[in-house]
Amino acid sequence: MGRDLKLENLTKRYGLVTAVDHVDLEIREGEFICFLGPSGCGKTTVLRMITGFETATEGKVIFNNRVINDLIPKKREFGIVFQSYALFPNMTVEENIAFGLKMRKMPKKAIAERVNVMLDLIGLSSWRSLYPAQLSGGQQQRVALVRALAPDPQVLLLDEPLSALDAKIRLRLRAEIKRLQQELKKTMIHVTHDQEEALSIADRVVVMEGGKFRQVGRPIDIYKNPTSRFVADFVGTSNFFDGRRTSDVVDTGRRKIKVLQNGAAAGEAVSLSIRPENVEVFKKKPIPPVVEPMNLFTGRIDVVVFQGAAVRLLVHMDGEEIISDIIEKEFEQRDLKQGDEVYVYCSPEAFMVFPEEGGRK
Amino acid sequence: MNPVEPSGKKSSIRFNADNLFTGGIMAFLLVILSVFLLYPVVDICRLSFFKDGVFTLQNYVDYFSEPRIFRSFYNSMFVSMVTMVITTVLAFLFAYGLTRTTIPGKMFFYTISTLPLIAPTIIQALALILLFGRNGVITRYLLGTSWNIYGATGIIVGEILYCFPNALFILYTTLSAVDTRLDEAAQSLGASAMKTFFKVTLPSAKYGIASAAALTFNLTITDFGIPVVIGGDYSVLATEIVNKVFGLQRFDLGATISVILLIPSITAFGINYYLTRKSYAMISGQARPFIQPSRPLKKWAFTAYSALISSCILLVFVTVFLGSFVRTWPYDFSLTLQHFDFPSLGASVPLWTAFWNSVLEPGTFRTMIGIKYAPIWTSLLVSLVVAVVGASITLVAAYIIEKKKPRGEQLLYSLSVLPAAIPGVVLGLGYVLAFNKPYFLIYGTIWIIIINIVIANFTLGVLSGTANLKQIDKSVEEAAVSLGAGPVTTFTRIVFPLSKVAFLSTTTFYFMRAMTTISAVLFLVSAQIKLAAIEIIFLDVDGRTASANAMCTVVVFIVALFLIIMRMTTGSSGLTGMSATR
Repeated sequence: MGRDLKLENLTKRYGLVTAVDHVDLEIREGEFICFLGPSGCGKTTVLRMITGFETATEGKVIFNNRVINDLIPKKREFGIVFQSYALFPNMTVEENIAFGLKMRKMPKKAIAERVNVMLDLIGLSSWRSLYPAQLSGGQQQRVALVRALAPDPQVLLLDEPLSALDAKIRLRLRAEIKRLQQELKKTMIHVTHDQEEALSIADRVVVMEGGKFRQVGRPIDIYKNPTSRFVADFVGTSNFFDGRRTSDVVDTGRRKIKVLQNGAAAGEAVSLSIRPENVEVFKKKPIPPVVEPMNLFTGRIDVVVFQGAAVRLLVHMDGEEIISDIIEKEFEQRDLKQGDEVYVYCSPEAFMVFPEEGGRK
Repeated sequence: MNPVEPSGKKSSIRFNADNLFTGGIMAFLLVILSVFLLYPVVDICRLSFFKDGVFTLQNYVDYFSEPRIFRSFYNSMFVSMVTMVITTVLAFLFAYGLTRTTIPGKMFFYTISTLPLIAPTIIQALALILLFGRNGVITRYLLGTSWNIYGATGIIVGEILYCFPNALFILYTTLSAVDTRLDEAAQSLGASAMKTFFKVTLPSAKYGIASAAALTFNLTITDFGIPVVIGGDYSVLATEIVNKVFGLQRFDLGATISVILLIPSITAFGINYYLTRKSYAMISGQARPFIQPSRPLKKWAFTAYSALISSCILLVFVTVFLGSFVRTWPYDFSLTLQHFDFPSLGASVPLWTAFWNSVLEPGTFRTMIGIKYAPIWTSLLVSLVVAVVGASITLVAAYIIEKKKPRGEQLLYSLSVLPAAIPGVVLGLGYVLAFNKPYFLIYGTIWIIIINIVIANFTLGVLSGTANLKQIDKSVEEAAVSLGAGPVTTFTRIVFPLSKVAFLSTTTFYFMRAMTTISAVLFLVSAQIKLAAIEIIFLDVDGRTASANAMCTVVVFIVALFLIIMRMTTGSSGLTGMSATR
């Protein structure tokens, strides 16, 4: 309680372009928030308004019950981790970490102690007297992380910190950031375009598009209950069907699909989405029969992509395509191959139904 | 819970340390440039257009109606055009050899070609006179002819030798940046070597070529050192200004000719500036591809050519060095140091005199070092101060322009690049007109000279500074700020250390300019304050050619020594990426 961060009606316009469009959010102390969205959605601009490097055109940034819009970045005492690491190339690892402490005029001895604690935190003690150019990307970003944490900032802001790293390092550092966050109980705000990263790391995810918050929620809610077609599409993989709905049946023109009952008016245009892992594929007509025979379709396996634990199938169903992920064990048991004629079953409750968004994908 | 403080809808202008820092420096720079750049130029225009407070074109009518004076305009245009064409062609071929062929000794040729940058522009004229003058070792001795090089020919040859490295630098950059794979593609499609050169290589370098040409034109038309020594009766605009002012005390006519000189000079600068930007826009970030081995004939032709040009440049230096050590050129070639005992030039410089008096025994040697060498010590002092002040102030200006981008940044930028368009003679005369007043306490001291040189060479400092700062990631500064560093700390702890290389090369550049510049400070020296480079002219005009050579040798020696020291302490060549824009 208390050191919460609040965004109220926050807006940023560059001339005629609205980069951030009247957004509201409350971030509790110690929470790990992730802003997720495609490039150009305004997520970095929100972050920069929180840091103070960008001024809001409208609205407020409130921290600890104080409007901080007019507070210069230095006074906000927020730590920042940059995509490009932004380590000072003319200073050693140690000097980099000590920089913020020196600026706060901490006594020398305290600085040395704090630097040691920080180096231990990332296990880089033996690198202390190296220069950034002598470190790998992953090591540099770890140094940047503790450099930002060293002065014990109120909030840590991470601006796509992992985007410049290669896949393996990214996963390891992601876990490390999560661990640090849980250990230090620090409010962290992380910006990324990588949905997997956002879902795996954050307490709450803010999905952004076109300067607006499309959905705010726990990762599992974002994934399981997207509130819009955009979120369903951007987060994870989804199959989409467009059609008209009458009561609990959606007619796509090619087939009729049963969905959950909802008192919709006849003829309403809707978009259906279903996650690949909810699409079942059988070689023979399943026995016992499926619960809802209307949703049992026929098709042919076009492509098989082995993904390790799961296998992704691209099934062609009379002019429409559907992606199905089945676990590898079942794939083998069912003896599926490319070119097989198969049955595809989608249970009605697995469908998410969104009203058609005009012109939007 | 405390009530939330209200905040205005529109973000107010934030008044804080950062804005104060930027605004303060911005204001300081604008004042400096307005007072020491705009005001003198405006004063010149005023003097040329007004007589007793009334606007008049009388001065211009006088100028254009007197054929003898009007000739100087024609002459200036003529020598500048001819120099421009010849220099551009010669430098292009040289640059082509260095970038597109596999000739041996490229580093050597390149280094030799940059040598003219370390000497006063007068050195070329001095060498030509020793070789081809009335008593020239070649004309008089070897050929026994009475022909000599004084006049247009001398000016043109001298200017070519002087402008060569400046044109070469632009062309070298252009040619090494243009993708040679274009040439290979053309040849693989069946084009002959000749056709490839004219259809692909030449057009792709066109902006660089035009920019080098415009720069050469500008350098030639604004130069004073070469025409004054070797021009003879052949008057050009720059010498005419000095004649009118020194000879006739006609400041109004000097101002009028200055305005006339400003027109072609600013035009050429504008063209050069515009084309340089265009030319850099064409540079691709491609890795430099492998150059295929040149065929033997091409290789040897370019080697011979490069060797010939390098020899000519070296010959200039060797001739002047020799000229300063032989007893009576060209009759008595026995060696002597007598010319280094300069005729009593001594100006009173208590600082130096007191210093030498304290370390040396009384005697003729002390008199020579302490008093006769006073102009050299003054030049050295001026140059050291100029180097530090000039490099610092241009770096700060570049930082404000490139990183802070405050309101009015465009104005600051325009003022910062303007000095390269203003001929040194014009700026110098402007200083006399503007500041020769009792209440300008710095007039008549070395400070006005220091300020003049710093301002006159502002352009290159700012351009090299901005180019360097562009490479510093914006996040690095933001990281410092977010960690609690203020604007001053960010600059001193982060930005400055990261700009050190650019800073040192600007320092070297300013030092060289201060030691060798003639035209800008010509009007600012006095009986009390003398500079080595200016003394070369006075010695030469006095008929003491050998001593002029000796003084020139001393200047070159000091600059070379400075370059070597810089190179040893910083590990990088002081001349890399450097070329005078004026």
